[in-house]
Order: sequence, then structure tokens, then C-alpha cells
Amino acid sequence: MNRRLRLAPWLFLAPALVVAVVFHVWPFLNTVVLSFTDASALGGGSFVGGENYVRLAQDPHFWLATRNTVLYVAVVVPLLVLLPLLLAVLVQPQIRGIGFFRSVFYSPVVASMVVVGLIWTWMLASDGIVNQVLEAARIIDAPLPFLTDSTLLLVSCMLVTVWKGLGYYMVVYLAALGNVSSEYHEAAQVDGANAARRFWSVTVPGVRPTMFLVGLLSAIAAMKVFAEVYVMSYGTAGPGGEARTLVYTIREVGLGLGGQIGYASAMSLALFVLTIGFSAGYLRAQRAEAR
Amino acid sequence: MTPSRRRRAMLPALAILGLTLSACGLSGAETPAADTAESDQPAEVTGKITFSTLQLKPTFTEYIEGVIEDFETEHPGTEIEWIDIPFEGAQEKIATDAAAGTLPDVINLNPNFAQPLEAEGLFLDLDQEVPELRDAYVPGAWDAFQVPEQEGSFGFPWYLTSEVTMYNQAMFEDAGLDPETPPATFDELYAAAEQITEKSDGKIWGMHPALENRFLLDLAKEGVPLLSEDGTEWVFNTPEAVAHVERLTAAYQDGVFPPDSLTEDHSKETEAYQAGRVALFPSGPNFLTIVEENAPDIAEVTGVGAQITGASDAANMSVMGLLVPRSTENKATALKFAEFMTNAENQLAFSQIVTIFPSVTEALADPYFTDDSDGTVESQARKLSAEQLENGRNLLPVQYDDRVKAAVIGKVQLAMKGELSAQEALDQAVAEANSITGM
Repeated sequence: MNRRLRLAPWLFLAPALVVAVVFHVWPFLNTVVLSFTDASALGGGSFVGGENYVRLAQDPHFWLATRNTVLYVAVVVPLLVLLPLLLAVLVQPQIRGIGFFRSVFYSPVVASMVVVGLIWTWMLASDGIVNQVLEAARIIDAPLPFLTDSTLLLVSCMLVTVWKGLGYYMVVYLAALGNVSSEYHEAAQVDGANAARRFWSVTVPGVRPTMFLVGLLSAIAAMKVFAEVYVMSYGTAGPGGEARTLVYTIREVGLGLGGQIGYASAMSLALFVLTIGFSAGYLRAQRAEAR
Repeated sequence: MTPSRRRRAMLPALAILGLTLSACGLSGAETPAADTAESDQPAEVTGKITFSTLQLKPTFTEYIEGVIEDFETEHPGTEIEWIDIPFEGAQEKIATDAAAGTLPDVINLNPNFAQPLEAEGLFLDLDQEVPELRDAYVPGAWDAFQVPEQEGSFGFPWYLTSEVTMYNQAMFEDAGLDPETPPATFDELYAAAEQITEKSDGKIWGMHPALENRFLLDLAKEGVPLLSEDGTEWVFNTPEAVAHVERLTAAYQDGVFPPDSLTEDHSKETEAYQAGRVALFPSGPNFLTIVEENAPDIAEVTGVGAQITGASDAANMSVMGLLVPRSTENKATALKFAEFMTNAENQLAFSQIVTIFPSVTEALADPYFTDDSDGTVESQARKLSAEQLENGRNLLPVQYDDRVKAAVIGKVQLAMKGELSAQEALDQAVAEANSITGM
């Protein structure tokens, strides 16, 4: 192969590589370097070894944020794997007017997270519609403090994440459902399987690879949760900041003129390790199941 | 590929990685306090400078452009390039500019934004550069741009505001309170709030705590020392502060404050007042205009009283300033423009467009701020505010940045919920604040 031909693939790759290096690889390496410094918002800082990581290990805010983030993933991911699949099964049949419902279910995806967060904040306020309905139905005697109780606030944020993500993953599942042959369903029906049985024994195995994909994507998104918590708590992460997540804490530590960029970088790397670790474990589990 | 060839192939990659690592992070920042050599500076007021403001476009475009035009006419050969920075993300933009040594020649900051930059020695010391101007400004405003333990004052005070106590006179009347007598002390304030809530059977909240805006300020007004005398340590966990937190807790648990107010900010307080859900609204007099625009019926029954100052008898004022970085390449023009922008004539014109107050004492003496004979609530608020400014101070220490605020307010929220005692909350707040500010 002559020299020109050997270079050709690199030339085609060059634009994408430049973008990847400038906007992903470089900032990542920069974050790694900064995590070993005492860099502030105003200066490059000096090398401090592993001091930031030692501080991280002793920082209760970091551990609280990690706990909340892991909890967030643990609750949100199963819901985002299952509920959009059920929704996709519901809106899959080509019946008249189904396009309207598909659009309605998809619409939260295109709405801004800030707008969605604000709307839910109004709805979940003490005098909001959710509390009014629950009180009218005599399910509760006094309004539930959705926004001022850290646990309820975190649960509310999780629900908003699920609500907003439903439509997106529904569309992913709709594409996958199209690949499940209707013959399997017909055969199961002939054998006397009811709808629930067909769902578990035909649909779910048919879309299992997509379920893994949705699980992985939603987990990575959930690890980075920020806007829901920030907007619904007016930037406080709930009373005492007890509903804080990792990205919220990274922002709090690193932003502003007094921002501790070195420490925030160390925290970012911890989040990176958590995300990569989870993804690696998840992929390994998928491969083991595939075998 | 043989191992030796593979090693050779890896060398360039390692070299690139090494260069990349050495180029990022540690070596990226400029020396911030670099002075531009005096010899390079034009001695006369001429040439181009940049001027940045905080979120004044588009509302005040006409005014700012008018002042710039006047300056350019008065000083031929000068050119001012105006940049407006939205409040959201301003700190990040300023930090980036400061680290890169590209701050505008004249920059609009408040004392809390300015303090970390002042501490780095980034701004010209006006006590040295223009000592003759000091006496023209409200003393408390000039002093707001000082750094604890450091010589000098770094900002031309620009516009000021000073909180007044707005209240719904109709709700006062319904609760059996005198609608013409606003509360004058913290005791009267909380007593009025409680009475209004009680008489309305909890339908109206007496007050909104707006913790992020008011908590530490109220402690300062109550005479609680926020910092140690040498300014090196937060020390606000005093018995007076405990009593204040206990009062807040009782008011929250008795339903005097809205249930969601623990985490809500000042905008929600404004909404609640405009919606007729809250009776007392201590805030800047500029909010009168906002209430009038959004809720004319509430504005009609709004009365106004002086800022409640508590045991310290010190009124707080918020200050905006103009600072000139030491890195400016045109010091003479930058200083002259900042002085021009903040002079009595221009500030008086500015404060007639919007309810803000000039930082120049001469402008404050104008009848616009001293005459309330037209009987409107706006002119009353203006007069009250202007009187407060004469002896007003920026009561919030410049070290009270967003992180310290979040830590302190977080603990107070937990106390108000009953999860911590007032003493525990304040002890933890002080410890956390000291750890954040490295005290």
C-alpha cells in the first residue's frame, strides 16, 4: 500500500478526531491533571499530590452525593427499562389516531428540563395540584412536603426523570418491537398464551438487547442528574442540601469566583470512575447472559 | 510488529501525551496581577477602552449608551466599547477573563463578586489613584470595596439600594393592626406576622423568610458579630443568633411562613406578596414598581416603612461598583470614565429611570430623594431609603459567597424543620463556613 493510501483513512477521520481531542480528550486530561492541584477559579494552582482524593474520602457531602446518585440510578433505571417498553407495546398497533398518543408521550422529551422542573415544582408544591388531589381523595390529611423533605424531593426528582425519559426510550423500544416477528406471538396465542404471558415470553426476550441498551443509557444519564434537583429545590438541593447529587456537588464546589477547580476535578473523576465501573459491570453481565 | 518496533511506534504517542499533560491544567493560568507598565500607558484621556456591566441590557441600553456618548463628546479621541454580561454565569466569565488577563478596562461588580479578585490584587487601589474622590461618595459604599486585612479600596461605588419594609395595609387592618404603623423592630415584625396569620386562620402567611437573602443580614442587624474582630473566623453562633433561629423555627412551625418557604428564594417571596398570600415584604424599594406592574390591586394597598435594623441600628445597603483592573492598558481613560459614569449628574439621571440610589452624596441630596410631599408610596420609599443610605453599610461580609451561604442556610433549614436544635445548627454552620473559607 503506498503512503498516500495509508494516510487516506486518517484524513477522513481527521475532522472527527480533532473535535474529539479538543472537546473530549483534552478536557478529560486537563481534569485529571487539575485533580492533583489546588487550582482555583482564578489560577492554575500547584501540585498537591493525592490531597484532593484524601479530602474526598473524608468529605460527608461527597458521600451523601454518591449515595443519592447511586440510589437515583437504582430507582430510575428499572423504571426506565420497563415502563417505556409497556408504553411501546401499547402504542405499537397501527390503529387510527395512535400517532397522536405517540406524540403526546414523546412531547416531554423535547421540553426543556428547566421548564419541566418548574412545572412539576408548581404541581408538587404544598398548595399544588398533586396535594390538592390527594387531599380531595382523602388519601392524605395534610399536604405532603414534596419539595421540603429531602427524601420526598429526591423521589419527586426521580419521577420527573422517569416521566421525561419515557417517550425517548419508548421510541427506541418501538424500533426494537418492529423486529420481533409476529409469528412468535401468533404461535404463542395458538398455544393458549394470554397477553401477559406473551409479553414476558415473547416480547421481552425479543427486545432484551434493547433493554440492556436502554438500561445502560438511562443509568449513565441518571448518574449525571442535576437539573431536576437544582430546579425543584431552587438551587438548594433540599433542606440542608440533603438531596444533593454528585453533579450538583461538583458544580457547587467548582463554580464561582471562589471555585475550587482542583477539588471539583477530583470529584468529577470519582463520578467518571463510578460511571465507567457501572458500565463495565453492566456490559459484563450482558455478555454473561448472552452466552 | 516486533516488541522493539511496537515500542518505537509508541514513543511519539507517549511524547504527545506528555506534551498534552504538561500543557494543560498546571500551566494554563496567567499571572493575574500583572501590572501594565506605566510607560506604555497614555497619560491623557484618549483611546479605546472596554466597559462591562452586569445585566443592564436591554432595559437600560438607552441610558448607558447616552452616558457613553456624552463621555466621548467630552473627551474627543476616546471610544468606549460596552459589553453586558448576564448575571447567570457572570462569575464564570469574569473568572475566565481574570485568569486570562483579559478583564475589561472598567468592570461592573458587586463587593462579593469583586472580593476574590481584589484579594488577588487585580484592581487599582482608588485610595491611591484618586484619593480626592473618596469624600464625594457615601462612606459606607466606598468602604464596601475593601478587603479584610488589606490596604486600599478598589471600586467606585455606583448604584445602591437599601431595603424598606413593604406591607399589605388591608391585611393589617383585617388583623386588627394599625395600617398606618409599619413594624419598626424585629419583635414588632414577627408579632405582626403572627397576628395576621392567626386572625386569617392560616389563610395568609404573615411573612416569607427568604433565608438566602435575609438570614445573615438579619443576624448582623440584630447585632450578632458575624466574623471575629480580625476578620479571620466566622463566629455567629452566639446566644442572640440562637434566639433568632428559634424565632424563625417557631414562625415556620406555626405556619407564619409558607410551608415550602424553607428552600424558596426571593423570587417566590415576591410572587407570594403579589398574589396576596403574604402580608409583609421587606425588600428593595425597586420591588414596588414590580408589584405595581404585576399586581396593581396589591400595590394600591401597599404601605412602606423603614428598614428594620434591630439592636445594631445599622441599615444595610446593597452596592454595585465600577472597578479598574491593574492590567488595563489605558488607566487614565478607564479611571476617568468610571468617575464620569458614577458622577452626581449621571447617577441622578439613572436613579430617575429605575428605583435605585446614587452613591454620590451630592445626588442623594436632590429633592427627588428628600421630598415625599406628593404622598405616593414610591416617594415615601425613596425618601426612607435615601435617609438610610447616609449611614448605611454593606452588612454582608465579602467572604459570604455562594458556598458559605448554602452551608449556613442549609443548617438553618434543618433547624427550622426541627431536625437540629438552633444551637447545633449554628455551631455546624459556623464550622462549615470556616472550613469553606479556609479560616
